[in-house]
Amino acid sequence: MKKIEAIIQPSRFDAVKDALHEIGVEGMTVLEVRGHGRQKGHTEFYRGNEYKVDLLPKIKIEMVVPDALAEQAVQAILRAAKTGKIGDGKVFLTHVDDAIRIRNDERGDAAL
Amino acid sequence: MENRNRGLISAFSLSDFYASESLRIQQSFDGTGDGLAVLRGRSEVVDTAVASLYRHYFSSQLDQPGKFCMLALGGYGRRELFPHSDIDLLFLTESSAEQASQRMAIAALLRELWDLRLRVGHSVHTLAECGRLYRQNLEFNVALLDCRYLAGDPELFNRLHDDVYPHLVSRDHQDLFRNLAEITRARHRKYDDTIFHLEPNLKDGPGGLRDYHVCRWLARISAIAKHKVWGPPEELWPAAWRAEAGPAWEFLCATRCFLHFFRERDDNQLSYECQDEACARGIGFQRGADPDCGGTWLPPPSPEDWMRAYFRRVRSICQLTLRLLDDYTPAGTGLYGLFQNWRSRLSNADFSVLREKVYFRQPAVPAQDPALVLRLFEIVARHGLEVSREAERAVAEAVAHGVTNLLESGVVWNHFRQILCFPAAAKALREMNRLGVLRALFPEFQAIDSLVIRDFFHRYTVDEHSFMTIQNLHALSRRKLRDRPNPDAAPEWEDRLAEILEELEQPELLYLALLFHDVGKGMETPDHVEGSRQAVEAIMTRIELAPPDRTTVRFLIVNHLEMSTTLQRRDIFETETVRAFAEKVETTERLKMLSLLTYADIKSVNPEALTPWKTELLWRLYASTANHLARSADDERLTLAVASASAAERILPLLTPSMTREKIERFLEGFPRRYLAAHSPEEVALHLERAERLASAPTQVQLKAQGSLHELTVITQDRPFLFASITGTLAAWGMSIVKADAFANAAGVVLDTFRFGDLYRTLELNPSEAERLKSNLVDVLGGRMELAKLLSGRLHATQTRKPKVTILTKLRLDDSSSSHSTLLELITQDRPGLLYQVSSVLAELGCNIEIALIDTEGEKAIDVFYLTAQGRKLSPELQAAIEKVMFAKL
Repeated sequence: MKKIEAIIQPSRFDAVKDALHEIGVEGMTVLEVRGHGRQKGHTEFYRGNEYKVDLLPKIKIEMVVPDALAEQAVQAILRAAKTGKIGDGKVFLTHVDDAIRIRNDERGDAAL
Repeated sequence: MENRNRGLISAFSLSDFYASESLRIQQSFDGTGDGLAVLRGRSEVVDTAVASLYRHYFSSQLDQPGKFCMLALGGYGRRELFPHSDIDLLFLTESSAEQASQRMAIAALLRELWDLRLRVGHSVHTLAECGRLYRQNLEFNVALLDCRYLAGDPELFNRLHDDVYPHLVSRDHQDLFRNLAEITRARHRKYDDTIFHLEPNLKDGPGGLRDYHVCRWLARISAIAKHKVWGPPEELWPAAWRAEAGPAWEFLCATRCFLHFFRERDDNQLSYECQDEACARGIGFQRGADPDCGGTWLPPPSPEDWMRAYFRRVRSICQLTLRLLDDYTPAGTGLYGLFQNWRSRLSNADFSVLREKVYFRQPAVPAQDPALVLRLFEIVARHGLEVSREAERAVAEAVAHGVTNLLESGVVWNHFRQILCFPAAAKALREMNRLGVLRALFPEFQAIDSLVIRDFFHRYTVDEHSFMTIQNLHALSRRKLRDRPNPDAAPEWEDRLAEILEELEQPELLYLALLFHDVGKGMETPDHVEGSRQAVEAIMTRIELAPPDRTTVRFLIVNHLEMSTTLQRRDIFETETVRAFAEKVETTERLKMLSLLTYADIKSVNPEALTPWKTELLWRLYASTANHLARSADDERLTLAVASASAAERILPLLTPSMTREKIERFLEGFPRRYLAAHSPEEVALHLERAERLASAPTQVQLKAQGSLHELTVITQDRPFLFASITGTLAAWGMSIVKADAFANAAGVVLDTFRFGDLYRTLELNPSEAERLKSNLVDVLGGRMELAKLLSGRLHATQTRKPKVTILTKLRLDDSSSSHSTLLELITQDRPGLLYQVSSVLAELGCNIEIALIDTEGEKAIDVFYLTAQGRKLSPELQAAIEKVMFAKL
């Protein structure tokens, strides 16, 4: 099993969600986050006041998928989230030892 | 039943009996839908089981009764056991000595009940303990209000029932009232103080079964305290309310029985699935049970209609609860009581205010003076008061007689706009809806009355969501930056939105749009936005809203999802997204309104819907769009080919026949697009007619009152020092400019609009002075009068005033935003003659003002000038000179 964490543009979230549904990934956790990568932000002015736009709003999605589906899911995210511009985000992949469904103690892929 | 259950001693036969009786009760309910029969039936079955167990485990008591008895409390005490309700038992003893001797028997009896899968709650108390008030936990004291004798020493029970407990109640009834009020209000708060949840909890939610019990308890406490009688508490309620609450109670009982049977547990939430099933089975709609159906069994056609019937009933219980709490909660002499008495000062010639309630001075009058009905809700909206029972009756009567139809259209809007803008608007609107006034004035609202639209995120019915938007926006306006716990910390995103709410010129239009933005959800139209638009068009025609105001409301309704869609689907940090959005909103005022509408709309979906993350996105889109509108005015000019041609179509019918389409297009060519957005076709037609007269009179001046301000429009040929001359003349007259737009077209015709406050009320007190101001302007612009002379004395006199808030001057020159001009953004302390000072400096330095966008926010002046020198952007040297001179002057 693999855990996929992806940080994406908020405007690409619907497209990413649809792309994952299409390949059979139904469950995911979604977080509203702020952050920056190499795109460090800039300063804006509104009515004479400076506003630093250093931490940009992003969406973070997390999901655990069977090994066989991991690469497909990553590709789906990449396809749907890419605009080609700075700030498109990143995808992280990690190995997961086990998963347990709290309701009925199912384990492994069956719990996903 | 007694015969059937004789000898039920063994656990097996008892459980057999209980199971078969439970099945019989359920089957009977499936056939009749009679909830009250279930309650009675189940109580009898449990009574039989308890009596049988008592005979078995307390056999020694049967021969030699000691000072011990068994009582039912709560729902069981009332003989109202729902299919999966708990059983509450009290083992009462004379002294603690009896408790020890009965311990084993009590434990055995409880075990048997648990084996029957009954959920039993029990307590063991002495008589003396039952006469004590438990201030930290009054629930036990309240539970005794429903005590019922089951078995054991009847004398002991009688002492509790007739002496000990009545003594406690008459001594401590104020504490009991207060405690009941506190826990009830806390429970209502947990459900956001509204009955209109899409999936309500019919036991604990406002207007639910628990509220009905509270009403009984309040009446019973009062009866015991005053007369030491335990009669049916419902009989102490006002007759009209009893008539409404009774059927509502039966409806809720049937529904809860259905829920328990359907879910096979003590589940009290009416989920969508349960609503479908309840509707399909016609729960609560037995023959003759529903007065709305004329006594005939008529199942509601859809789950939405079933829920409407549910809300109607729950509303009557909720009203009864709030009224009784209000009646029985002691005003006392504490601070709250003093506050309530102080509020009686709000009484006036038409209304008296007593203990937070409004009364008509002459109850018969509303039937003759329809406007009085609206004024009643004005006072409610202004001060957050309650409508008294008497006033309710008078309003209901007036509505039934169609009094609201007699109101003239203009009168309706004059009062309604006030109601919308007062802080407790949402409360007044809910009351107007409840009493039928809202429907009488705006039948369109009926479409969403108690309407459930199933949605994963929405928590409230459509009408309640609409009221909630207005409530949330008023709550936002109460946020004050200075009240923040840490004033040095960066303001919250909501604080920033609160600032723009304060700046709105016509907040009533935003509130009107919010009230009707989702009316289309209850209409047949496939797209609810289009339905809402159609409804609001009819409403605006009826209330005779001014044409420019209609355009604003229409814009807000049609685009009410636009901003949230942009936030969700577009990258708001992209210039193109901001540009496209700015093109849609066209003016800063509309942008402010749409941002606030979006805020209120999302926030009212459910209490968690608007996260700080989303609020930040919303504010950032607002700020970037506001900046774009201020910084791009001269890049987007009307061209003959595109925009001005379509605008000419709209303006042509408003002009005299001699005016041709070509003349209109020539006039519009070269004006910023913002000009058309900022002025209605009627205003543009007027400007054009004035511009046509320039050949004979080179300065055209128009002056009119605009609310508390005055609006001055000057049309003339462009020339150096023009802007400075106009602002100088206004300063010489002591006028304070709060907003201004200055535009020029391709032919060099300048159109400047100023909104100003009349600091010394010169024009108000001397109407003829308006003509002299206009002629001064014509003379100054025509070179026949010296501005310096006009100004002498005035500026010196006014500059000596000290400002309340100090604003630091900030100046920013920007070459990148516009392709033709250099932008000067100036934030500084507002003061008389400021614009004259700034514009004369610019003129002296040889700058031409292409466009000026002037705004004021409290004591802060926010000015944007698009400047050129000899037709080009300003050189770095000139920019440096401006900076130096401006800082020196300001």
